[in-house]
Amino acid sequence: MGHDLALLIPEIIILLTVVVALIAEMLRFPRTVLTVTIIGLLLATAQTLPLLGVDTGVFGGTFRVDMLSVWAKLILLPATVLSLLLARSELAGSDREGTVYILVCLVSLASVLLAGAGDSMLLVLGILLSGLASFALVACPRNDIATEAAMKFFVFASVTTSVMIFGLSYWFGGTGSTLFSELATLQTKPVIAVIGLMAVIIGLGYKASLVPFHFWAPDAYEGAPLSIAAYLSVVPKIGAIMAFAQIVRDIPMVTAWSLIIAVVAVLTMTYGYLAALVQNNVVRLLAYSSIAQAGYFLLGVVAVGASPLALKSLIVFAAAYAAMNLGAFAVVMQAGRTLETFYGIGRKNPALGVAMVVFLLSLAGIPPLAGFVGKFLLFGAAIDAGFLWLTVVAILNSVLSLAVYLRIVVPMYQRRRDSGLSAAAADIKSINDPVTAPAPLITLVWIIALLSTLGIGLAAQLLLGQLG
Amino acid sequence: MYPIVSITVFLPLLGALFVLFIRKAPAQAVHGIGIVTSGLTLLGAILMWSRGVNETGFAQFEQINWMPSIGAAYRVGVDGISLPLVLLTAILFFVTFIYSARVRKQSHAFVALMLLLETASIGAFTALDAILFYVFFEVSLVSMYFMIAQWGHEDRQRAALMFFIYTFLGSLPLLLAILGLYLGSDPHTFDMRVWISNPPLEGIAAMLALVAMLITFAVKTPVFPFHTWLPAAHVQAPAAGSVILAGVMLKFGTYGLVRFALQMTPDAFREAGLVILVFGVIAALYGAFAALAQSDLKRMVAYTSINHMGYIIVGVAIAALATEPAIRATALDGSVLQMVSHGLVTGALFLLVGMLQDRAHTREMGQFGGLLKVVPMLGWSFVLAAFASLGLPGLAHFPAEFQIFLATLQVEPVAIIVILGIVITAGLYLRAIARVFLGETGEKWTTATMSDLNYRELLALGPLLVLIIVLGIAPAWVLDIIHKTTSALQL
Repeated sequence: MGHDLALLIPEIIILLTVVVALIAEMLRFPRTVLTVTIIGLLLATAQTLPLLGVDTGVFGGTFRVDMLSVWAKLILLPATVLSLLLARSELAGSDREGTVYILVCLVSLASVLLAGAGDSMLLVLGILLSGLASFALVACPRNDIATEAAMKFFVFASVTTSVMIFGLSYWFGGTGSTLFSELATLQTKPVIAVIGLMAVIIGLGYKASLVPFHFWAPDAYEGAPLSIAAYLSVVPKIGAIMAFAQIVRDIPMVTAWSLIIAVVAVLTMTYGYLAALVQNNVVRLLAYSSIAQAGYFLLGVVAVGASPLALKSLIVFAAAYAAMNLGAFAVVMQAGRTLETFYGIGRKNPALGVAMVVFLLSLAGIPPLAGFVGKFLLFGAAIDAGFLWLTVVAILNSVLSLAVYLRIVVPMYQRRRDSGLSAAAADIKSINDPVTAPAPLITLVWIIALLSTLGIGLAAQLLLGQLG
Repeated sequence: MYPIVSITVFLPLLGALFVLFIRKAPAQAVHGIGIVTSGLTLLGAILMWSRGVNETGFAQFEQINWMPSIGAAYRVGVDGISLPLVLLTAILFFVTFIYSARVRKQSHAFVALMLLLETASIGAFTALDAILFYVFFEVSLVSMYFMIAQWGHEDRQRAALMFFIYTFLGSLPLLLAILGLYLGSDPHTFDMRVWISNPPLEGIAAMLALVAMLITFAVKTPVFPFHTWLPAAHVQAPAAGSVILAGVMLKFGTYGLVRFALQMTPDAFREAGLVILVFGVIAALYGAFAALAQSDLKRMVAYTSINHMGYIIVGVAIAALATEPAIRATALDGSVLQMVSHGLVTGALFLLVGMLQDRAHTREMGQFGGLLKVVPMLGWSFVLAAFASLGLPGLAHFPAEFQIFLATLQVEPVAIIVILGIVITAGLYLRAIARVFLGETGEKWTTATMSDLNYRELLALGPLLVLIIVLGIAPAWVLDIIHKTTSALQL
């Protein structure tokens, strides 16, 4: 028992952080809340480091401390810190500031729990905790758009989660246990295994915004504060994908589960990029892009168990995705929400322009950036697992993605179009853009993201070497 | 032994970073840095040349661990196929920097991008690790995209986008092939030397990988019907961009055809040899006929590139089909030499067209006439380069094309119809010379409105023209290096 708790130190630290932060929030010290949460998260990250190389389960296997969950913590907790810095620059002075930080911490806790889930109860717990805190985060601006987005999000999440719980009850009935490790006994009951799997795809699919369970995402990202959108597009999504990987490790092969997930991957990638192609709002564009990127993650999930590259590729791509997506959102916070506001940014502010180009090209998977290394490993894993056709589809989608991301890059180096359009854009900007003064915190975030995006590409060995 | 290959590859990148850090420096200083950096790079390439190549395998090999757990490393080195291309690249970038010293629009970014492009180009030719090759290959795409989009002509945005998406789409099958070769090799590695000495795939897998690679390199080369991006990109690209695009980047396609397709899947290549040969013949003839139909000088030169690259594909296909090592070596010698000649000749032609456009602000042949009297030096330079391009004996293309045709006659005599291309290019170049430089001088063009080549332009053109003649009269100094590798090639 004591040994089990020692393996849970990072999670316990986050929980204690939330408690201390809540007390500070009750005393109305929002800046203290920020300090406490950041220190707590960094401490939790540091305490995760000794766990590298551990591969075991705690509390009878309900929570797994293995490569996937440890690396999920090492990626998600720093990403949360960056998101908190973004939130600070966006929400400083508002009366809900402190609450937002605490909710963000709770979602992160839920996400790292999901990444180590070894039991269907923990899976449900993670999804509910992350969901409840996320609704509140989306609704925090107190305006109609945000409220509507949160409402849609809530209804969508309630339905999908209920369906998932219903489906999971089949697994419980079939195996007599809530542990995923018992799923192997479904070898003889493929129908039950498939029903449960479909339910999991629905429940986690909503969390990871897989098509066709993605409808909430663009609205939620648009309605929420930008920093929250950035956060929601990274941390809960990666958590859900990792949970997916934890589950499919144990599903018996008879169900052809990998084929089902491959089909979802194709739908997600293709639909995400096609929809992104027609967006004029950069936030919505990035929302659809992050939907499509979830499809790439599934290439790694498909290969779990069939290729030794699968888990490595998931982790590397998760790190790459966190860096480049947070970076892209940080630039959007500084530049504005519509494509119009991007005209000429690259000329006015060359450093910001270069950073955005790097993030977008990395998202498209152009070498030698982080996104390329991640996708390259994912492709390798999928081919190794016998999914050549899926890789071909993913590669074709990469071309589509380039068209999507160049829609932002091209105007950045053009002069502003004629005045009529830009006046309208200026109006929108004044309504939507909460960042007025140059924000040092945002700059700090995109610089860190930029260095990570470049660094993961060049120093991928540091990651891979640790992964063994 | 200091690592001269790596220094040559990354010197331009250092220059680019340096340029970005001195934002306040005036344009002249920035161009000066560009010229000096590319000059030093050229020096590095000459040093590499003086160290030479081995009889077998790769020389001047350098390696740094990068991702050992998946078998990827930073590996560079040269053989007789890549070394001439490295030298060509360094020369072309050097003269292009001299020529573009007049660019005033965002000169910092221009020089930095060009230097980045130089690192990517030399890197692609020297890389001996498949991932590294792919990285350089794609970086060159990104830099060329910005080059066209920023400094191109009227319709540059559309052309740049088309170029980027087209060639990016084209490069992705290569990624699949690389993954296939990686998973087929045992133990898994991205070391191209291993793949070459011991081809990892066979049977249907090798054929699939070959098809994927052929698609990539056919787009890059380009081969009919994958060529449509080329005229659009060339017409809109700035002169410097055109020189690099045609002189250096098209060679990625033919170099890849030899290095990847021929050397890594030799059996499949031999099986598909006839089909590739047919594609080569069609490309050569199509390029010639399409060039004949152009009235825009730059478009015309762009199409003749398709024609010349067609000969290279014919040469490589013949090399695969040949059973006798001597004939195979002749065909490959000709193909590699053709890459070098084409770089020099087309580089000179694009520079000349650019110079003409700087003066006249048009490239329509019908607008000109009798320019030889107005700008004699420019005119005679163009005549020389055009004669070289149509394959006149004594100039750069002749020894290359001669060897290709010689080998073709011995292996697949029917394919010699490709020689028709020479006749057509001869016709079109003579017609172009007649319309632009001979005949009545239009009233618009007098010595007052149009000046002859200035000091800077002569400095840029001179080396290329001299090399065109030298390579035509005495190709042995390049052929010796090429032949060392091609004669020992095991297929």
